[in-house]
Amino acid sequence: MSTIKDITTLDGWAQHLSSLPPSTLLIVSFNAPWAAPCAQMATVLSTLASEYPVTEPPSTSWVSIDAEELSDISESYNVTAVPFLVLIRNSQVLETVSGSSAVKVRSAIETHAKQSAKPDGEQPATSTNGSTATVDMADASLAPKDAEKQKEELFKRLSDLVKAAPVMLFMKGTPSEPKCGFSRQIVAILRENAVKYGFFNILADDEVRQGLKEYADWPTFPQLWIDGELVGGLDIVKEEMAGDADFFKPYSAKANGDVPATSS
Amino acid sequence: MAETSITESSLTAALTDRLKATHVEVTDMSGGCGQSFTSLIVSPEFVGKNSLKRHRLVNAALKQEIAQIHAWSAKCQTPEEWDKERAATGGSDGPPLDGTTGGKVDGVSQ
Repeated sequence: MSTIKDITTLDGWAQHLSSLPPSTLLIVSFNAPWAAPCAQMATVLSTLASEYPVTEPPSTSWVSIDAEELSDISESYNVTAVPFLVLIRNSQVLETVSGSSAVKVRSAIETHAKQSAKPDGEQPATSTNGSTATVDMADASLAPKDAEKQKEELFKRLSDLVKAAPVMLFMKGTPSEPKCGFSRQIVAILRENAVKYGFFNILADDEVRQGLKEYADWPTFPQLWIDGELVGGLDIVKEEMAGDADFFKPYSAKANGDVPATSS
Repeated sequence: MAETSITESSLTAALTDRLKATHVEVTDMSGGCGQSFTSLIVSPEFVGKNSLKRHRLVNAALKQEIAQIHAWSAKCQTPEEWDKERAATGGSDGPPLDGTTGGKVDGVSQ
């Protein structure tokens, strides 16, 4: 599973760019560490990255750049708001996504990851957000906002976060190191059923931890979300499985054409 | 403001009272610390509700209590479902104890 590399110097950037084979999809995330939406986006991206195996040559490369620290790079890609995503292949910008929509980010990456580089290089750069005016920067500014607005923004981020993957698990700890018996059990169930899922460690982010309880109107973790809707916690997942052994089938890695055809 | 400590009996009483439960079993999984509980709740209020809705009903009924404890697990059945299960297993399964060691939850951190 791929991980995101932090680029901290101009040299590092140049080096990384030149090291990439022409077929690799380079996913560049511009962020500002003090901006909460960027923290959310970092999670969405690391979740996504973990779904892409490390191959030789690499099919995807994931990097993160502090937009203010390396402002030269930001300028060259017209980054005027954060979070900002740039997708590059063979030194060509394929697409950019401005803002914190997890859904847009995921679909842009999946679209381009599927296509291998076309030899005639006919991929025009597309921008999925019309105006990249400085208006968006306000999203990440430190200007005082009233509590109402902040909550609204938090809920907007949460609504994107729960859709970061078709199956999203909000748990205590991580799948490799669960910090709670219930989280551990739910991870085991997902593993047994070979479910492809994204996860979020709520112990690492108190804003999401408290916000999600309210957003979901559900007081506990773990929480499993499917297609942007709350399924429930461990008890409910067990009950659903007891009622229908194929409950997770559509989301299992075993689905999607891996079954050999048995035509008579 | 005095905070009543949460116990198996206090939860049982609350559930019986607020959910018109006909049968309630609550087990303290935290070795008596009053921090982790698992329960079996049988109530006609669950009829016609899917799993999520049943749990939401319980969460609403025990909102204050759940906010105070560390872990909560529940099995919500209608009287009919409970009768059927008892007939099938020859005795009630009781509250879910999966993943516990002798009724105690593993891996419960601070």
